[in-house]
This record gives sequence, structure tokens and C-alpha cells, in this order.
Amino acid sequence: MLSDHRSRSFLDPAVLARLGSLPLFARRPMQGNVSGRHPSPHRGASVEFAEYRKYVPGDDLRRMDWRAYGRSDRFYIKEFEADTNLRCCLVLDTSGSMEFGSAGTSKLQYARQLSGALSYLAIQQGDAVGLSCVADGIVRSIPPRRNPAHLMHLFDTLETARAQGPTQLAGVLHELAETIRQRALIIILSDLFLPPEQLADCFEHLRFRKHDVAAFHLLDPLEIEFRFQRPMRFLDMEGGTAIFAEPNEIADRYHRALEVYLEGLKKAVQEKAVDYHRVRTDEDYEQVLTRFLVGRTRARGVR
Amino acid sequence: MSFLQPWMLAALPLIALPVIIHLINQRRYQTTPWAAMMFLLTATRMARGYARLRQWLILMFRVAVITALIFAVARPLSSGWLGLAGGSRPDTTLVLLDRSPSMQQRQFGSETTKLDSAVNQLVQTLSTLGSTRWAVIDSAHREPQELESIDALPGLTAVTATSSSADLPAMLESARDYIAANRPGRTDIWIASDLQASDWNADSARWQTLRDEFQSFPQGVRFHLLAFPQDVSQNVAVSVVDSKRVETGQGAELWLSLRLARHGEAEDRISVPVTIEIEGARSLVPVELVGVQAELKDHRIALPPGHRKGWGMVSIPADANVADNQFYFVFDETPPRHSVIVAEQPAVGDLLEVAATISPDAQNQSTAELLTPARMTATAWEEVSLLLWQGALPDGDAAREVERFITRGGQAIFFPSPQAADTTFLGVTWDNWVEDATQQRIESWRGDQDLLSNTASGAALPVGQIELQQRMELTGEFTPLATLAGGDALIGRVLQGSGAAYFCGTTPEGAHSSLAQDGVVFYVMVQRALAAGTAALGDTRQLIAGAASPQRRTSTSSATAADPSTDEAQPEQQVLPTDTWQQLAGPESTLSNEYLYQAGVYADEDRLLAVNRPAAEDEPSRVQDDRLAELFRDLDFTRVDTELGREAGLVQEVWRLFVVAMIAAMMFEAGLSMPHRARSGGLKP
Repeated sequence: MLSDHRSRSFLDPAVLARLGSLPLFARRPMQGNVSGRHPSPHRGASVEFAEYRKYVPGDDLRRMDWRAYGRSDRFYIKEFEADTNLRCCLVLDTSGSMEFGSAGTSKLQYARQLSGALSYLAIQQGDAVGLSCVADGIVRSIPPRRNPAHLMHLFDTLETARAQGPTQLAGVLHELAETIRQRALIIILSDLFLPPEQLADCFEHLRFRKHDVAAFHLLDPLEIEFRFQRPMRFLDMEGGTAIFAEPNEIADRYHRALEVYLEGLKKAVQEKAVDYHRVRTDEDYEQVLTRFLVGRTRARGVR
Repeated sequence: MSFLQPWMLAALPLIALPVIIHLINQRRYQTTPWAAMMFLLTATRMARGYARLRQWLILMFRVAVITALIFAVARPLSSGWLGLAGGSRPDTTLVLLDRSPSMQQRQFGSETTKLDSAVNQLVQTLSTLGSTRWAVIDSAHREPQELESIDALPGLTAVTATSSSADLPAMLESARDYIAANRPGRTDIWIASDLQASDWNADSARWQTLRDEFQSFPQGVRFHLLAFPQDVSQNVAVSVVDSKRVETGQGAELWLSLRLARHGEAEDRISVPVTIEIEGARSLVPVELVGVQAELKDHRIALPPGHRKGWGMVSIPADANVADNQFYFVFDETPPRHSVIVAEQPAVGDLLEVAATISPDAQNQSTAELLTPARMTATAWEEVSLLLWQGALPDGDAAREVERFITRGGQAIFFPSPQAADTTFLGVTWDNWVEDATQQRIESWRGDQDLLSNTASGAALPVGQIELQQRMELTGEFTPLATLAGGDALIGRVLQGSGAAYFCGTTPEGAHSSLAQDGVVFYVMVQRALAAGTAALGDTRQLIAGAASPQRRTSTSSATAADPSTDEAQPEQQVLPTDTWQQLAGPESTLSNEYLYQAGVYADEDRLLAVNRPAAEDEPSRVQDDRLAELFRDLDFTRVDTELGREAGLVQEVWRLFVVAMIAAMMFEAGLSMPHRARSGGLKP
């Protein structure tokens, strides 16, 4: 599939090969345009029986269940589930804050690794993948397609993505909820530095549009632990004012603020049924993805 | 708070170190790009009360650690009164120790006397404070005795009790001489005393001189007074007023007069068993004591036949002060009371003869012999007690003869001649006759001792009633016993050897004065001089411990104790040689060089000497606080009233407290600086 053999900094073929055995499932019925491996809200021609329905004139006689007619002397049409492909929309945060990284890799790079692997897996199983790079608006947008050439385009876009500018994630998510056709898989890769209430609104909007929302919340270890000894001058990576602080003095309150935020966020994702994954950027992304995929396998199904 | 090494306090500015480090740390900030600004903004907006307080507390504890460390290294001393070690360690420390009998007071049920307590406290205190050189001046010898270290103090004989009184001004003079001679660096003078008024002599003119001289020392002298002003609850002192051997029809008897005095609670009536011991033979006499004083007059004790002279001791049971529970006495056959009268005017001679020959004692007749100056060499002077001389002062052979007589212990009273003469005797000269139309009277006189002292019951002699018509002025060096309103002396005394010469500025003649007319004073003067001269003839003598002159134990309720002339008498006293003395009674541990200062009975060849404490030691009066402050006015002086039997030293090093404080501050600081439990553990997905 990687026909041009160009090496990408965010792709590791060995990891992709190992992950290839795991399917990417949707947690709710998807609306694709071709047949695939995901449940559809409609009846179709799969082998999986769905229900009996009374015959009405005009129905295809080939779908009549003659055995049922023999037993009950009534006409029933036998209906089967439809299987479809899914449209996976990756929402990649490319605001300035994603450039931060203390563990050797920035959050943006980590997000590239996740999105690259996910898009490869999705396209490999016949799903369509799109990409929206988000900063103070939608910087780049690639509509979902499912052909392998599209994958190269995606990779190119990921590679050229640069973290800069302030975040307008909330507005963009509302916009995407409206513009993406219903019943898609939306995967958000961001540090989610927004008030949890705003995010909850966005998730609510996406759920209303029957999307399956997954979020990778990328946090740097230093942002979590806040280990500083000396007084520091903190420069805002998204262009805000700098703050001078004595870390020893402020660490307590920083941790308290972080805790409050994470609590609020946890509540929001639980209420809005978001497949939420908090990721430390010093974790192995393969494990993160494995956890993600396995988790979805378990939650798969409901039509 | 005072310190043994105060220069270490120069390091005190180091306490600013934590603050400076804090400020430097503030300046050493780093700049870093940061993504999670929303939490930082929230954190800076949050209430910072406790966090800020914590920072301040940490800083405070760090400062406290350094402060406590510096203080501990500076070796702080406890007790607030001690401004004593405000400077550095003294170069020389002089200890002035009052060894007088009153320092022998102790508390009920305790063996520790004020003196022991003083020595213990001084050793503990001074070994803490330290010094380069040490010297002790004790009240008996008044000679500086240098020590290797203050720990050697308790082993010295100079810290044992004596029976002699202390003379604080003289001790300070000795200290002054020591400082002047040795020129030490900064000097500390520690005085241990019970503030007894008679020892301190607060009215002495010498204090002014001492103050000036100590102030003039450039190196700085500091005084520390370790005072024991507490009075014990009850103490009885016994003393012998008079002891004489009297021949009666039944044989020889000893007539003993003794006095009991007590201080403290004097309301109840107690019976004091007085033990009288005469050369080993004891008898017990109970004496009823009501009020503050009781006297046993002429208690008769039969002496064995042929017992001519001897010694004895009266004692009472031990009480709060053991030093005043014994009194030694000696007795002898009364020598004949023989006077020699040399008079220019026969009328005066008659008056003198009358006064000299009427004996106050029926058993003991007094005789007198009228002489002319020319026959003086032919007289048997060794049998004469008193010389009464009226006329021009002796010169030539007569002067030598009289001087020899006085040196041996004889007494002489000189009255002026009607004609002015310019002869000088013992440094004293008659000047001119002065007419006093106003009938001048004597304004002040020595009521505490000598010829004009008060009677045994304390009443003053009617000296003030004597009227003077004419008098002769006295010039020369002498101790005035009676002075007129203008300050001129009427009666002066010159001590010579063991005897004394008295110069009277008028005669008993009616034209000159009313001495003979109001005969009491005149008679008493003559008889007292006669008694003193007779005592010198005998083979027994009563001595006051520490003093050279024979005992003149007198009543001390004197109205004229404020007379500064007491002091001039001091240099005249000569220390008796004690080389030939043998101890017959008294404390067994007494060293021979301390004989003069320890009560007891001593034999000097065939003479018996009884040494006793001065009467003033039985007086409980203390120097008033303001008076004491006045004595050390303008000097660097600290006083501490300590307690009898107190074991601990006056100062203690308290650096341990500061080390504990430092450790506590360090622990608090550590507790506050401890980082809170890591919260990242709960942030795993």
C-alpha cells in the first residue's frame, strides 16, 4: 500500500504491521457508501439475519421466506443487516500549544504518529479517512476518501502540518459537526486546553449528529507533574502574555487547577459518551493504539 | 543576655543570608515556552494566603536557624541581671572575700554558711566566666593572694572563717594597690559579703577616694557584689563584758560579766544555758533572755587557791551562727592601780589626784604619786598605769622616759600649762590660749570607743554639758576624740606602741572649764585611762581579732558613728607579732599565721591572750540599698542578692538551649519545605 516507499518520520512499518491484525470498529451504526465491515442503520444484504417483515405487494419475491409461508400460510419477507464502510474524520489540533514537548517528542509529532497509523489501518480495511487540521480555524481539510492514493495525500498533509496560532477548537468542532455527514467516526487529537464546559457542548453537538466521537487527550509529562526548581518565566506558546512564577510557590495551585480541569473533562466525556483516552506523550503510541482498538472491539455492535 | 564570646556576635549579619539567597534565586529565573497556560493562569489567580505564609515561615525558620547557631557559638549566659560579661573575658579577676563572723550565719537545719555558699557560687560562676589571672583578697590579711585557677579557691585558708571583722574600704584599697602595681588589663572585682554595716563602713571618707581612683584606671574595673543580705530567723550571741579575779574572804573568785544579745524574733522568753569553762572545768548557768539583750553581771566562780591567772570560755548551744557562740576570756590578779601626777599648778594636781585615787572598786585601791619632772627618772615606771601631766609638754630625758612608758602600754593624759610653751611631744604641740566668752561647748565626741565612749548601758556621757572658759589649741597629728563647734579639737589621742597619749585642750581648773565641777566626764576619763593602763601591766590581755590594739569592747549604739575620724585610726594600728604565740584554746585547725584573726586563747611566753570577735559583728544592721548604690556611684557595678545554701552557680551557659532551638527550627523548616505528595500518579488514563 505504501507504494512510493518514502519513509515518514511518524510511521513505523513494524508497528503498523503489528496493529494490522486489529480491526478498527465503530461503536455505533455508520453510514458509508459502499459495503464494509461496519454495521449500518439500514437493512441490507449481509448474511446476518435481522428480522421478519410482512410482505407487501411490490416486494422482491426472492426475499420471501417460503418456509415461513409453509408453516404459517402467511407471507413474510426475511430481512438481513446491511454492512457498510465508515467515514473516519481525523481532527488534528495544530495550534501552538501542540508544539510543546519535554519528553523528546512534541505533542504534534505524537498526534502525527497516532493519525498516521489510524488512517493507514482504516484505509486498509476499506474505510474512508479525512483529515482536518485545526488552529484558529480549519487550516487544512481533506474530505474522507478510501483509495490508497488518498493515504499518501494524508501522509503528506500530516508531514507538512505545523503547530502555530491560537486554538479555536470549540468553534471548529461545532462547524465539523454540521458539515460532516451524519454517522461518521470523528477522532480528535488535541491537548484540549479548553474549558470542559465548552468541550461538553461540542461533544453534545457531535453526538446529536450521530457521530461516533473518540478523543486522544495529549498531555506532556511536564505539564502533568510541573517539576521546576527555579523561578520561571513562562512564555505562552499561543501568543498570550508571559507569566513569571515561583514554581515552588505555585505548584500546589497548578496541580489543583489541573485536577479540577481533568475532573470536569472526565465528567463531560462520560456524559457525552466520548471514547476518551488521556495520553502522556512519553507513552508508547503503539500501546495507546492497541488499547484504543481493543477497547472499541469490546464496545462494538449496537445497531 | 550576655555572652562569653561576644565577638562571635559580629557574625550576626549572616542571618540575612537566607534572605539574600532567596533574592538571588529570584533573579536567576529561566524562560521556557509553555503550553498549559490555562492552569498557570488559574493557579496565579487562586488565593495565595497559606502559600505565601508558608514561604514567609520557611524564610523565618531559616533565619532562626542561623541566629540560634550564632548565639550558641557566642556561648550565652543565663540570668538577666548579669551585665557582667558584657565585654570579653576579663584579664584579671579579684575576689574580695568577707570572712567576718557574721558570714558564718547559716539556715536552720543546714550546714552551709554564707561564706561556704559564697565560695561555692564564686567558684561555679567564675569558672564559667573565666579569666586570665586570679587573686583573692580576704578580709583578715587584706593581701592579694594569686591563684592558678579559681578552682583552687575552696582549698585556701583564705576562705575559712575568721573572728575578725572585715574592712571593705581597706580591702578595696588593697585591690586598688594591686591593680596599680600590676597594671592588668580589664579587671573584674567580685565582692562576697553579707553587707554588714560595720564591715562596710559606708560613712568612711575613703570611699570617695576609692571611687575616684578606680575611675581613673584606664583599663576599666567592674564590680560585682555577691550579697547575702538575708537575716537568719533567730540567733543569740554571747560575749564577756568583764572578767576579773577578786580576792575575797573565802579565797579567790572570778567575777564574770557576760552579755547575751539576740536578733530576729525577740518576743518570747527563752532560757539560754551558758557553759562557762575555766581551763577545762565546766559549769552551766542558765540565763533568762527576754527582749533583745540580757546581761549576767558579776557572776562569781570560786577559783582554786593559788590559781593566780588563767583563761576560760563561755559558750552557748549552736544556733544560726556558730561564730558568735563562744567567747574567750583571760583573768589575772588585778595589778595595783598606780598613777603618777606631774602638775605645774598644785590646785590642778589636787584635782587630778582626787580623780585618780578614788577607786570605783572597793576591793582595789588606787594610789597616786605627785612628782616633779626632775624626779621622773627615779620612778619605778613598770608599776605605773597612768601618767597625768599638767604643764609644758615633756622634753629631753623626761620625754624619752614618758615615751618609753607609753610604748610599753602605759596611758598618759596631758593638760596644758597656763603659760604658752612651744615644746612638742609625739608630734603634738599646745598652741595659744583662747578665751571663749560664749562658754563654748563640745559639739561632737567619739561615743563608740575610747575615753568618752558611752556607758555599758548605752547612755552617752554628759560631755556636751562641759562649759569651757579658756582652752588651748592643739596642733599636730592626732585623732580627735572631742571637737568644738568650729571644728577645733579639744581632746586628741596619739597611739604609741601599745599605749596611748591623750591631749586635753583645757584643765579641770574652774577658771578654764567645768571639767572638775561637772566631774562625771573628768572622773570617767581618768578612770578609763587608768583601767587601760592597768590592763597593760597585767600578764593577760583581751584582744580583738584582727586588731592590734588591746580590747576596748564598747557599746556600739553610738550617736557619733558617722565620725570620719574612725578611719584615721586605722593606719596607726600595728599588727602584733604572733610568732611566739601558742594556742591554748580555739579552733584546732587554725594555722599559726591566722592566730590573730581567730578567736581563741593564746600564750605568748608567760602572758595569756584572749582573742575575740569585735562587738560590731554582733550588730545585725546592714548597709541600705541606696547607700550601697551611692558607694559605687559612677562605677561599673552590679549587685546580686543570692540565697544562702544555693547550690547552682550564678551564671550558667545556655548554649544547649540555642542548639535545641536551632534543631527545632531546622525541623520546622524541613517540614514546611517538604514537597507535597506527587499528584501525577492519579493522572494515568
